[in-house]
Amino acid sequence: MNSDQDIMTLRYAGEREPLLGLTFRTGLLTVVTLGIYRFWQKTRIRKYIWSSVSADGDTFEYTGTGLEKFLGFLIAIVFLAIYVGLIQMVLFFAGLNIMVDPETASPQQMIAQIVAIYITAFAVLPFVLYAIYRARRYKMARTRFRGIRFGMEKGAWGYVLRAIGYGLLTALTLGILTPLLTFKLEKYMADRSYYGTARFVQTGNWTELFPALKHVLIGIGLLVLGTLLVAAGVMSSAWFAFLGGLAVAVGSVWIVIGAIYYAVRSFAYLTDHKVLGKEIGFAAEPRTGTVIKAYVLGGLLLGLLATVAFGIVGALGAAFIPLLEGAGMVGTVVLLSLIGIGYLVALVLVQALGMVLITQPILAHYIQTIRIENGSALDRIAQRETETGIDAEGFADALDVGGAI
Amino acid sequence: MQRTEAHFFDGLTAGRHDVHVALSEDRLALIISGDALDEPLRWPLMDLRALADTADKTRLTLTRRADTDDEAPRDPARLIILDPRLIDWMRRTRPGLFKADLHPGIWKRILTYAGGAIAATALMLFVILPAMANTLAQLIPVEREVAFGKTVTAQMERLLGGSGFGTLRCESPAGKAALEAMLSRLTDGRDMQYDIAVQVFDHEMVNAFAAPGGQVVMLRGLLDMADGPDEVAAVLAHEIGHVESRDATRNALRAAGSAGLLTMVLGDFTGGAAIALIGEHMISAGYTRAAEAEADIFALQLLNAADVSAKGFARFFNRLDEMDAMDLPAYLSTHPVTAERAAQARDFASVQVGTRPVLDPAEWKALRKICE
Repeated sequence: MNSDQDIMTLRYAGEREPLLGLTFRTGLLTVVTLGIYRFWQKTRIRKYIWSSVSADGDTFEYTGTGLEKFLGFLIAIVFLAIYVGLIQMVLFFAGLNIMVDPETASPQQMIAQIVAIYITAFAVLPFVLYAIYRARRYKMARTRFRGIRFGMEKGAWGYVLRAIGYGLLTALTLGILTPLLTFKLEKYMADRSYYGTARFVQTGNWTELFPALKHVLIGIGLLVLGTLLVAAGVMSSAWFAFLGGLAVAVGSVWIVIGAIYYAVRSFAYLTDHKVLGKEIGFAAEPRTGTVIKAYVLGGLLLGLLATVAFGIVGALGAAFIPLLEGAGMVGTVVLLSLIGIGYLVALVLVQALGMVLITQPILAHYIQTIRIENGSALDRIAQRETETGIDAEGFADALDVGGAI
Repeated sequence: MQRTEAHFFDGLTAGRHDVHVALSEDRLALIISGDALDEPLRWPLMDLRALADTADKTRLTLTRRADTDDEAPRDPARLIILDPRLIDWMRRTRPGLFKADLHPGIWKRILTYAGGAIAATALMLFVILPAMANTLAQLIPVEREVAFGKTVTAQMERLLGGSGFGTLRCESPAGKAALEAMLSRLTDGRDMQYDIAVQVFDHEMVNAFAAPGGQVVMLRGLLDMADGPDEVAAVLAHEIGHVESRDATRNALRAAGSAGLLTMVLGDFTGGAAIALIGEHMISAGYTRAAEAEADIFALQLLNAADVSAKGFARFFNRLDEMDAMDLPAYLSTHPVTAERAAQARDFASVQVGTRPVLDPAEWKALRKICE
């Protein structure tokens, strides 16, 4: 069915300097407006990134507006202010009631107290999960390709229930069932997604994600083995202890790399098994090595530049300190404010650098490995209705869900 | 302007159409023509809008302003221009090209919800959370409060530079005995809700604080600066006032609620955490100023009942006043202006009769050497 000519490749054309400039300028505006501009900042960065992605020469379009995001946030605040304030205090009170005396507490009591502190985090968890689904729905509703809207059905509470259920199952099996969690949640969202009138379907089977988990399992194996060796070495020989320590160190690194491997491989599998409108297929070939390289090189460069930026601010601040003596009250306040402003500018710059040194290269790599099979069938897809009454991911903004973009 | 090629998406299907674009004869509109279109489209220049913040500067995506239900009032059709001369001409001659159009009535909605959000936040911060903190502070069992207080003092010890639990505590036996003597002089015969446990930490800062559950900590710097035991007793009485009215517990409860709320409202933008912290401090300063005044009055009554002169109280605040290098505005400071407090104590002391020192000279000497 698919001839060679009918394969479309996604391209990413975003560049460093324009995105750095955009992120930095909008970051400064966000600081100046005490955070209010952040909704416009996110919108403008998305417009840039969406417009960098193209298939067959046609670019994607992000149609969200900063104003509707701000409005969505205000609506979420009305509800969350009351809920979060009350729940925080009640949970803190409950935490105090199981507070133990640090001088006399037994280890069991200490553990119970730590567990209780973590349980308090679960009070907002349903809303965080709700916000995750709503944020994806909002982004779909505000994405267009060739003038046609993407979209997603309502269903955030169904997502919350499934995420909690599969999450508990995964936790109870010590993470072994992670593929089930990943697959079922992605299927829940993908099966409710549309491009125009055409529906997406997630095919495939969750058990086929297990190979992607292999490096995490190897890492855990090394960690367990190393711990056993150390325990044995303490009693018998120093050699065992050394080998065990080595295995623990290698195992820890292996788990981190294994987690990236899992993210990359599961993305590839889930993309390969998505079908649009029963006839359009997808394929993705992201490489773990490239992603890790981007993290490491980008991270090193970012660390270096951050050191330079904060070093300059620190040096200027130190140069100002002798001036503090003899400066009056007003002079002191002015000098301290200048140092504070320098620090904020450096912080905004480092955030912008993180966007172009880490976020964008990794995103670009993922996108450029995606192919669309039988792309000519897209021509037959018709427009869908506009989504009104959407909360513009206000809950996600209030609860700080969603990351860089 | 010459006829030029462009891509057109009609907003109805995902098919791409190759079209020709030219300026109309009256020079007021773009005329779009092509095989896929039944008849040429006329897009008035006035209505043209282009997508902003795009990555590819070699293309310009045009759309029209139209009254639709979309997120922005725009026609769903898109015209993609790739001819650099036309792009340049559009950018030069159309100042409203990147204008963001708004749906009518949007500002009214923004103002309504902004008012609602501010009202909900303010109601929580200034009415509901303080009231709940009051109630909950009364409900919590004393032994839990004591455990919480011990955790707080242990944390305080680490914060002040102690390497571990108990490393900063001053334990000289004679000094501790003097401290106990001072405490029993102040509290004997009074019905107290808490067993007060006083400690001295070896730190040069001039300060004292009351943790929940009767834990009072004084720093060595305070003993060094004080000119006589009556001054130390005044500070101790003040801190006991905080203990008895459960100020520390109430404050911790209220802060737990409002800190989470403020971080959420301000978001995770750069410096947001710092602003949330300042905000929280401003609010708590308001509450603690009232609590400080109450603790002062409690302390004066305690000193009076124990026949200790409040002159020490006045002297101590005078000295604090001289020490304040930078005069913080009253709303930023948690303590009422020190000169006023000194005056209040002096007035109180002037009518006291039959007072005697809280410690004898030998005890006072031992107390000052408690950290040695």
